Amino acid sequence: MFELLGHGLLTVLQWNYLVPLFAGTLIGVIGGALPGVTITMTIIVILPFTYGLDPLQGLAAMTGVYVGGSAGGLVTACLLGIPGTPSAIATTFDGFPMARGGAPGRAIWLGVWSSFFGGLLGGLFLILVTGPLAAIALQFGPWEYFSLFVLAMAMVAGLAESSFIKGLLSTAIGLVITVIGTDPIGSVPRFTFGSEFISGGFPFLPVLIGIFAFAQIMSDIEKIGVPKAPEAALAAQPSLKVSHLKVIGEIIGRPFLLLWSTVVGILIGVLPAIGGSAANMLAYDQAKKFSRHPERFGTGVPEGIIASESSNNANVGGSLVTIMAFGIPGDAVTAVMLGAMTIHGIQSGPLFVSQQPALAYGIYAAYILAHPLMVLILAAGALFMLQITQVRLAVLAPVVLVLCVIGAYALNNTMQSVYVLLIFGVFGYALVRGGFPLAPLILGLILGDQIEINLIRAIMTDDNPLLFFTRPISGGLLLCAALSVALAVWQHMRHQERIAREEAPDF
Amino acid sequence: MRLGRDSFAGLIFLAVSLVLLVQSFGLPHLPLVPVGPGFYPRIVLIFMAVTSAALIVQDLLARRAEPADVPAPARPRRAYGLVALSFVIVALYLVLLPLLGYRIATVLFVAALQATLERPATWRQWAVFAAVAIGTSAVTYLVFERYLSVLLPRGNWTNW
Repeated sequence: MFELLGHGLLTVLQWNYLVPLFAGTLIGVIGGALPGVTITMTIIVILPFTYGLDPLQGLAAMTGVYVGGSAGGLVTACLLGIPGTPSAIATTFDGFPMARGGAPGRAIWLGVWSSFFGGLLGGLFLILVTGPLAAIALQFGPWEYFSLFVLAMAMVAGLAESSFIKGLLSTAIGLVITVIGTDPIGSVPRFTFGSEFISGGFPFLPVLIGIFAFAQIMSDIEKIGVPKAPEAALAAQPSLKVSHLKVIGEIIGRPFLLLWSTVVGILIGVLPAIGGSAANMLAYDQAKKFSRHPERFGTGVPEGIIASESSNNANVGGSLVTIMAFGIPGDAVTAVMLGAMTIHGIQSGPLFVSQQPALAYGIYAAYILAHPLMVLILAAGALFMLQITQVRLAVLAPVVLVLCVIGAYALNNTMQSVYVLLIFGVFGYALVRGGFPLAPLILGLILGDQIEINLIRAIMTDDNPLLFFTRPISGGLLLCAALSVALAVWQHMRHQERIAREEAPDF
Repeated sequence: MRLGRDSFAGLIFLAVSLVLLVQSFGLPHLPLVPVGPGFYPRIVLIFMAVTSAALIVQDLLARRAEPADVPAPARPRRAYGLVALSFVIVALYLVLLPLLGYRIATVLFVAALQATLERPATWRQWAVFAAVAIGTSAVTYLVFERYLSVLLPRGNWTNW
């Protein structure tokens, strides 16, 4: 394993891989720092650039975006009090008060080094666990796969913050989109209404780009002209000078906090379709609960920054485990990576690591190397990132949309994919306005075909439907799915009750 | 009783699922596969119909529970008109793309959307927007066509 990893590191250190990795990390840091631009959006923007590259170059660039984006959000979070990405929300709680209190350098570098250590620990998990997990997944038959996918969807729908029913309906919409077009077993056209346009079904990437990019950009456009809360400005050019050894000592000196936040990040990453935005909040919450001085959180304590930033980068490692061992994306960013792999004809799933070791270990190597690159980029240009955040939406939005159009068009050089992009752009925006979570829809969209294929395969092998419940792993997974749904229902009911009580008029 | 936003959404998805469910019974049966191509879609569509119905019921119950004369909380002002206009401009871009070609259509699109989102007040701003429009088109064209071998649409009218 270490020999393969060493080989992967040597490969990625060659210029033709290092340049895409560096460019990806740089763009990721910039996208992460830009408020209103998420990591998903950044990876969508660089997607078309990867079409012309070889698979490892493209995946190295994407891994760079993912790592850089997860760290980039901390710059604006600490210096402006605005999280650059949702995965840096909890960083603002203590990062901004610390920076305002006269220690901007300490705030930024606590964040950067926590991201570095959290990310590398996540990488260790990724390298050690992916292989054994894939080996377990290889023992799975169609029953187990079907049940695993059902569990993934049950968990994601249950995590929808607004409404559990909307989470389930969103999953159903994603699944229904995949049944339109030819059926995967007998190639019979389904629900095409005689239209050539949808006879092949809706291609995955244009649907994903449309839903995410338009939902995001149009939500940003909505807010044009809305007066913003006045920013408590720092000095125009704050000094970020700091003793790195001291900052690293502050982090290493809290080993339990660092390890626990990393574990939280990894676990959230492993869960399908939720990512850094949940990881940093949960890790911050945990750090506060375990602290002897929870009342100091929010005033600029280093623990808050360490928890948030180490967890959101560890989350990247966790997400990569799920996609590389099972072929299930851990979040929207890895869903785009999965799409990019499919374009290059790479089959993700449990056979990926054993059949494509050069590529798999190349991804590990890119992931590891992206961390020092991220530190270098932030050391050289943290204040420059602050200047970039001044870019106006009027300039940013059209450029991003042009890249989305190229991303859809270049898939198969037809305008059809571009029309699909717009149709699902309007649909995605309408869903967001209606309060529907997008993550369950995307997971349904990704897993739809696989669920159908495994279900039919299971029935073709043995027509006894009880096997889904009586085979131990399959039955266990379905039981977990049922428990997950029950837990989600219970939590939502409790949440509703609490809201009702809180909103009751106070006489 | 007036229907809420969730009920409307639920009704639309319920209608879609029922129409497709009816369609699924007309799909042919394959001799070699024990279940036909309509088997799995029916499960998914029933799931969608049930969740849509549950959303409607949830919304109706919530509306019944809250007193009718309580004013809705004030929502922050949103530029929905600008969103609609932006969608129209994107749609026009997609119409013009195969007619004018990538290079010309992209210059027009970027310029139009910029000017819509932020009305330029001075000549300097006009110049910046024009430069961004031409720059975006030229740089992306060069990078994708020349260096990444990704072909971009040619115009039927302009042949460019």
